[in-house]
Amino acid sequence: MALFLVRRLLSAIPVLLVVSLMTFLIMWLVPGDVSAEIGGTDATAEQIAQIRAQLGIDRPILERALSWYGNLFQGDLGYSYLLGRSVVDAVLERLPVTLSLTALALVFATIIGTLLGILAAVRHNSWLDQTAMVAALVGLSIPDFWFGIVLIILFGVSLGWLPTGGFVPITEDVWGWARTMALPAFTLAITQMGVIARMTRSSMLDVLNQDYIRTARAKGMRGPTVIFKHALRNAMVPIITVVGVTTGVLLSGAVVIEQVFSLPGVGRLIIGSIQRRDFPVIQGGLLVTACVFVFVNIVVDMLYGVFDPRVRDDR
Amino acid sequence: MTAEIETLPEDGGSLRRQMRKARWRAFGVFLKRLVAHRSFLIGAIILVLFSAVALFADLLAPYAPNRNNYRFILMPPSAEFWFGTDGYGRDILSRVIYGTRVSLFIGVTVVLFTGILGTLLGTLASYVSWLDALIMRGLDGLMAFPGVLLAIALASALGPSEITVIIALTVTFTPRTARVVRAGVLVVKGMQYVEAAQAVGAGHARIIFRYILANALSPLIVQLTFVFAVSIIAEAILSFLGVGPPPPAPSLGNIIADGRTYIQEAWWIAVFPGLAIAFAVLGLNLMGDGLRDIIDPRQRNHR
Amino acid sequence: MHHRVTALIRLIAVSGVATVAAMAPAGAALAQQMGGELIVVQGSNPPSLDAMNTSSGASRNINMNVYETLYGFNENVEPIPILAEGVDISEDGLTYVFTLRQGVKFHNGDEMMASDVKASMERYRKVGATGTLLEPVANIEVTGDYEVTFTMKAPTPTFLEAFSSPRAPAVIIPEEDGAAEPGKTSLVGTGPYKITEYVPDSHVTIEKFADYSQDMDHEGMDGFGGKKTAYLDTVTFRIIPEPGAQVAALEAGEVHILEAIPAPAARRLEGNADIEIQENLQWAFGTLILNVNEAPTDNVKFREAVQVALNMEEIVGIAAEGVFELNHGWTYPNSIYNVGDIGANYYNQGDVERAKALLAEAGYNGEEFSILTDNSIPFHGRSAVVIAEQLKAAGINAVINQVDWPTALNLRMQDTGWNGWTLTMGIEPYLGPAAIVSTLTGARPHFVKNDPVLDGLYQELIAGATPEARKETFAKIQEQLYTYFGIIKLGDTGQLQATRSNVKGFKTFRFPRVYDVWLEN
Repeated sequence: MALFLVRRLLSAIPVLLVVSLMTFLIMWLVPGDVSAEIGGTDATAEQIAQIRAQLGIDRPILERALSWYGNLFQGDLGYSYLLGRSVVDAVLERLPVTLSLTALALVFATIIGTLLGILAAVRHNSWLDQTAMVAALVGLSIPDFWFGIVLIILFGVSLGWLPTGGFVPITEDVWGWARTMALPAFTLAITQMGVIARMTRSSMLDVLNQDYIRTARAKGMRGPTVIFKHALRNAMVPIITVVGVTTGVLLSGAVVIEQVFSLPGVGRLIIGSIQRRDFPVIQGGLLVTACVFVFVNIVVDMLYGVFDPRVRDDR
Repeated sequence: MTAEIETLPEDGGSLRRQMRKARWRAFGVFLKRLVAHRSFLIGAIILVLFSAVALFADLLAPYAPNRNNYRFILMPPSAEFWFGTDGYGRDILSRVIYGTRVSLFIGVTVVLFTGILGTLLGTLASYVSWLDALIMRGLDGLMAFPGVLLAIALASALGPSEITVIIALTVTFTPRTARVVRAGVLVVKGMQYVEAAQAVGAGHARIIFRYILANALSPLIVQLTFVFAVSIIAEAILSFLGVGPPPPAPSLGNIIADGRTYIQEAWWIAVFPGLAIAFAVLGLNLMGDGLRDIIDPRQRNHR
Repeated sequence: MHHRVTALIRLIAVSGVATVAAMAPAGAALAQQMGGELIVVQGSNPPSLDAMNTSSGASRNINMNVYETLYGFNENVEPIPILAEGVDISEDGLTYVFTLRQGVKFHNGDEMMASDVKASMERYRKVGATGTLLEPVANIEVTGDYEVTFTMKAPTPTFLEAFSSPRAPAVIIPEEDGAAEPGKTSLVGTGPYKITEYVPDSHVTIEKFADYSQDMDHEGMDGFGGKKTAYLDTVTFRIIPEPGAQVAALEAGEVHILEAIPAPAARRLEGNADIEIQENLQWAFGTLILNVNEAPTDNVKFREAVQVALNMEEIVGIAAEGVFELNHGWTYPNSIYNVGDIGANYYNQGDVERAKALLAEAGYNGEEFSILTDNSIPFHGRSAVVIAEQLKAAGINAVINQVDWPTALNLRMQDTGWNGWTLTMGIEPYLGPAAIVSTLTGARPHFVKNDPVLDGLYQELIAGATPEARKETFAKIQEQLYTYFGIIKLGDTGQLQATRSNVKGFKTFRFPRVYDVWLEN
C-alpha cells in the first residue's frame, strides 16, 4: 500500500508540470499585462514601462518561467501583483470556500444520485424507475447558472428560507455555513446527480442480475440486506470511478456557481486574476486546484482497493 | 461483433473476405437492434428534428434573428412573437431557431476534433508502449486543468468566439475520450484475430485501422454522444461567463446568458432556448444510452 | 406599443423625482438614528483602495467615504474647501496658499499637518492616476504647521477645478505613507469612515471613525464635501457580480442599497413598498469613438456617413434600457456651457440614404468596420450590437469585436486594428467641457490621431479667463466635433439606484455617500 501511494504521488509530478506549462503557454498568448491595471487608463508610456521593469514582467517568458520553477522548488509561489499578499495566502484564504462547495456538492450528488439509482434499479421498469431517470436526464440538461438564479429567487426571495448568496466560514458559524452553502452546493450537484444516478442504476442492474444475488434471494435473504450488503458493494467500483471524474467536473463547475452566488472562492480568484493579468495568482491558483484534483484521484484509487482487492496491485 | 470468426483459414485473402462478410452481417444486426431500441429511436428522432431546424432556419424563422426593434422590447409571448422578445426587441423564436445552428455546429465540431484527437492519442498510447506513460500523464495534466478557466484564458488570448469555445471543449474532452479508446484498443489488441492478422503479416497501419480501431469504435461512439450533449450545455455556461459565441449572432447559450438578468421580468428569454437545449441534450443522452445498451451485451436486457 | 414603453419610462422618471422630492423635507423633519449596519451592493471589486492610484468607479464608491481632498466639488460642481480652510491665490495667479483646517485627525489618531499634505502631493505626482493635474505646479512647500504653498509654472485659471476632480482624487494621507508603492499604503484617511476589512470578491467593510472632525462651515453634506455625519456603525460594500442575484438580495432584505439596478427590475419593483428607486438621469455620455488612423474611418466623409446613419433613440434606448435622454450636445442641457443647437442637424438622423450618398462620396467599397467593445459594461456591448445592425442596414460592413475590459483598453491603445470603440464617459461630463476635450487632445487622443484644430481650441479653452470666454470657445469646439466626426455622441444615459425603504437620507450622487444616511429600525 505504501509503495502504491508513493508511486501515485510521484505520478502527480508530471500532471502538475503539464498544468504549469499550460499556464505559461496562456500567459504567453494573452495580450496585455498587469501594468495597465496598476497604472490605470491614464498612465503614460513611461509609467507603464517603469511598472513592468519593477515587477520583472518585461523579461522574456522563458526567463520568467525558469525563475518561477526555481522559486517553486523552494516552496515559493511568488507575490500577487495586485492583492497585496503572497500567492499562497491569496489562494489559501479562498480554498475553504471552494472546498466546502465542492465537497458538499459531491456529498449531495453521491448520496442523492446513488439513492435514486438504487431505487430505479430495484423497482426496475416501474413508474418510479421512469421518473427517476427522467429527473436524472433533466438534471443533465439544465444550464446550472440559470437554475441557480431560479433557486435564489425561489428560496431566497419568495420563500425566504435561505440567504441569496455570500459565504460564512464553517469555523465561525456552522449553521450559517450550512445555510449559505445549501443552495450553491445543490445547484452544483444537480448535473452530477444525474450522472451518478444513471451509473448506479445500470451497475446495480448488472449486479442484481448475477447468479449469486439470485441465489441469495432464493435462499430467502430479505430485500434491503441483499441490496445494500451484496449488490451495492459490488456495484461500487464503477460508481467510485464516476465519483472520481465528478470531482474534476465539480471543481471546474464551481467557478460558475461562485459567480452566481457571489462566493469568494478560488475560481473567482482565478477569473479575476485572468482579467487583471495577475499571473502569479493564476499560476498558483491553477496549481493548487490541480493538486486538489490529483489528491482526490489518489483517494479514489485507494477506495478501489477497499472495494475491489484485485485492483490494488494492478496499478 | 467479432465472435463469429473462430477458425482461421491459411489463406489471407479468404480471411479478409470472410471477415468483411461477418462484419457486414454484424452491422445489419446492429442496425436492426438500434431501430428496435425505444430510447435510441426517440433520441434519434429528436436529433433529426433538431438538425432539421438548424438546417432550415432560414425557412422556419419568422423574423431576422438580429433585427432590433426599440418598440417591441421585452414583449411577453404573443401571437405575433410566439416566444416573446428580448431586451433589443428581437424575436426569441427566430433567435432560438438560428441558435440551434451555432449549438449544433459547436457540438459537431467538438465531437469531430475530440474523436480524431482522442483516437490518435489513445491508439498511440496503447500501441506504442514507450509513448504510453508520456501521453497518459500529459492527458492527466489536461484533465486537472479546469476546463472553464481554460476557456476564459483562451478567450482573453484569442477573443471570445465559436473557435475559442471549440478549442476549450476539445482540450477538455480529449483526455477522457483518449482513455476510452486506449482501454478499448488494449482489450481488442490481445484478441485472437488480431494476433492472427499479425501472423499473416499484415502491416501495423493496416492492423490498427482495419482490426483494432474498428473494434474500439463502439465505446468511442457512445462516449462521443455524451461529449456532444455536454458541449451544448457547456456553450451556454461559457456564454454566461462572457466567453461564448460573441454578439450579435444568437446561440442557445448566449440567449440564455442574456436573459438571466431578467428571469423575474422576462422569463421567456431564457426559458425557451433552455427548453431547446434540454430537448437536444435529452435526445443525445437517449441515443447514447441506446447505443451503449446495444453495444454492451451485458446490459442489453436492462431497458 | 411605443406608448406603452415610453409611458413606463415616464412613470419612472416622475416617480424618481417624486421620491427625491418627498425625501428632502421628510428627511429634515425625521429624527436621525444612530447605529446599525448598512449593506451596499456593487458588481465589481475595487481594483485598489489606495484612492490616488485608481480612477475606477468601483474604488471611488468606497474611497470617497474614507478619504478626503483639500478641495472638492459641491452639489453644483464648484470647488469648495474640504480639508482646507481656504486658499489665497496671488494676483498673478502664480502662488496658491492653502490654509488647512486644524484638529483634523487621521484614522491612525495623528493630526493632519502641512507635512502630511506635502507628502501626499509629492506621492500623487508620482503614482496618482491623474498625476498630470499637478503638472502646472512647480513647487510645493510647507509654509506653516497648517499652511502649504503651491508655486505655479504659469498662471492656470482652471487649476483649482482640475485639482478638485474626484476622478482619481488627490487625497490627503499620512506622511508615513508618502513613499508607499501604489496599493501598499496603510489605507488611512481622514473621512467619516475607516476601512477595517477587505476580502476581494466578497466585501469591503468600513467602520464609523469616532474622532472624525466635521466641517462645521456647512449645514449638511454638499457634493463631495460639507458637514458629514456618520450615523452608522459599519457599512459593508458587498461584491455581487450577478445583477439577478443583486436584485434578489435587495428583495429578500439582505442588503440595503444597490449601486445600480437594471431598469426592468426597477420597473417591476415600482409598486413595492419596501423598496425605493432613485434615478440619476445625468449619469454618463454614451459615445462611439472612431479611429481616424485606420481605413475606412480615416476618411472624414466615411465618418460623417456613420454619424448620419445612426438612429440614436434606438441605440441608447436599447443600450440604456430606456433610461436616457437624447442629447447631441457635449454638455448636459442644464450646464452653463450648453451651446445649443450646434451639431443637432447631424444627430439622431438614422438617414440611410444620406449615409449611402456619403459612402459613395468617400469611395467606400465594403472594407470592414470593426467595433471594439467589452462585456464588462453592459451599455458598451449593447450599444455596439445596435450600432452594428444600423450600419449594416446602411451598407457598411460592420463587425463586432467583443473582448474583456482589460483587453479592450489594451487594443484601443493600438493605432490600428479597430475602427469604432463604444465608451461611456461618466466622470468627464460631470467635470465639464475641459475634461471631455482633454481626452480628445494631447499625446494620445481617444480617436488616435490628433486634430490640430481641436488641440488649439483646447488650449484656448483652458486658458479662458471667464466662463463666458470659455463658453465661446466651447461653441467652436462642438462645431469642430461635428466637423471632424472623430467621436460620436450617442446620448445621455441614466443610472437607477435602489434602496430599502428603511434607508433614510440617501441621495443619488457620483458615488454612494453613506454618511448622512441612517437606518430606521
